[in-house]
Amino acid sequence: MTRKQMGYLFITPTILIFAILAVYPVMETIGLSFFKSRLQYGNVKMFVGLGNFGRLFTTARFYISLRFTILFTVLTVSIEVGLGLLFAQFMNMDYKGKSFLRVIVLIPWAIPTIVSGFIWRFMVNDQYGILNYILLSLGVIDNFIPWLSQPVTASAVLLFADIWKTTPYVSLLVLAGLQNIQKSQLEAAAIDGAGSFQRYFHVVFPALKPVLATATLFRLIQSFKVYTIIVALTNGGPANSTESLTLYTLRTYFDAGNYGYGAALATVTFIISILIALMFLKVIQNKISI
Amino acid sequence: MIKRKYDKAVFYLFSLFFILLIGFPFFWQVSNSFKLEREIFNIKWLPTVFTMDNYVGAFSRQPLLEFLTNSLFIAGMATILALTLGSMTAYAVARTEIRGKKILLLVILSVSLMPPIVIISPIYNIMRAGHLLNSYWGLIIVNTLFCLTTAVWFLSSYFQTIPMELEDAASIDGASPFQCFALIILPIVAPGIFTVGILAFIQAWNEYLFALVMNPIRIKTVTVGLKMYEADNYIPWGPLMAASVVIVVPLIFVVLLLQKRIVGGLMSGGLKE
Repeated sequence: MTRKQMGYLFITPTILIFAILAVYPVMETIGLSFFKSRLQYGNVKMFVGLGNFGRLFTTARFYISLRFTILFTVLTVSIEVGLGLLFAQFMNMDYKGKSFLRVIVLIPWAIPTIVSGFIWRFMVNDQYGILNYILLSLGVIDNFIPWLSQPVTASAVLLFADIWKTTPYVSLLVLAGLQNIQKSQLEAAAIDGAGSFQRYFHVVFPALKPVLATATLFRLIQSFKVYTIIVALTNGGPANSTESLTLYTLRTYFDAGNYGYGAALATVTFIISILIALMFLKVIQNKISI
Repeated sequence: MIKRKYDKAVFYLFSLFFILLIGFPFFWQVSNSFKLEREIFNIKWLPTVFTMDNYVGAFSRQPLLEFLTNSLFIAGMATILALTLGSMTAYAVARTEIRGKKILLLVILSVSLMPPIVIISPIYNIMRAGHLLNSYWGLIIVNTLFCLTTAVWFLSSYFQTIPMELEDAASIDGASPFQCFALIILPIVAPGIFTVGILAFIQAWNEYLFALVMNPIRIKTVTVGLKMYEADNYIPWGPLMAASVVIVVPLIFVVLLLQKRIVGGLMSGGLKE
């Protein structure tokens, strides 16, 4: 057997898994989005063309979840990347204890989202949560704030919980980028008389661009599929105001048994993530170059 | 000199802020897991009476031990499968002349980027048809799919760093391609495989969406099990905090023990543009 033949043999199981569990399901979902198909109809499907999509775009609940998901994605990722840039600067300073910082960064990343979600839910509880207790004793508020029963504060808690979990990880990625910048580049800039601020914008920031683009792409996509943190904290409430596209789709499939409409929702989610990925075509091209 | 002192102060102030920010939720979780219920409701910083009741409750209200063994088996098997198939695929992609590499990599990357909700309903139907709902193997297979994307990414860049001459020399000495793979290349990338294994295990251990949809009745994992403590709008916070301590402590232990490898793995993963 030649090396090439072995190569084909080696990729066969992987190709089978991806064909059966990824490529076929994507086709199936897109196909089903053109049909009316419900639990109560059994196996009977009715072709409705773009009917499901038409219904989708006239449903308020869809717009609410779309708006929530997009706002959540844009806000979390921009704050996480901004803070990540800042934190990485600190983490790159050469003092005793710097390796300890790199270790504790891993902890929020490693624990299950459902666990951190429940811890936050406990801390923001209106009656016996530590957050209200602290704000009350500092005199910032006069009454308990029911954080999770108001749309705006509930969304804010979700944002905060996600930022808390993910910023350390983003900082680590940016730090890797910072350490990859050649010392000589910085020294050359310093000799040319660049101040530290100028150095940052003309040398450091451009050199960080590829890492930032990669981190932003992966975070945007991940944030866009937000689901678990919502289940732990708000379950989509109050009144569906924090229902993400994934949660809405899941409920349409498995609670309402409306498969065709659910497939249309999943297809829209799919198309938006493709659009996000296309904004970062360069990152993707670099990733698959071998 | 003054600037250096100022820098140092900034660094330590930042560190303090950072540690408090990350550490406080865990402090609060652990502290409350040892409190009596009345002290949970009256908000005490530390328990005045240490109690293990919450830990007893965590194991008696729900079969927490079973959740743990289920997760261990599912995440463990998925990791082993993903590492096996992942190193084979990464080898083929990085070191052989097969055609269609780019398309394969593009599909793998797309799956790691794609929202899982897109494929959940067809996968559910496939698993139901194969009688794999509420089983170990259904979830193992799905987790293998997702861990495999991670494994192929990291491993193909590890495989690429090994000079080609090494294998060429071995084949001139009469080694078969498989011997080259198993006896020369694999031992060299073994540390990398180990690191990727940790990342894959954490990924599978923490998976929630598919675990909830596919195994809602039997063979529940820890992440799904934790949600079970919440019943009828009532949350037993003491036992829930205790259960989450039990779930998190092994993870934190692993992370602290293998921190160098994980940090290195994550950082190099970010750099592979």
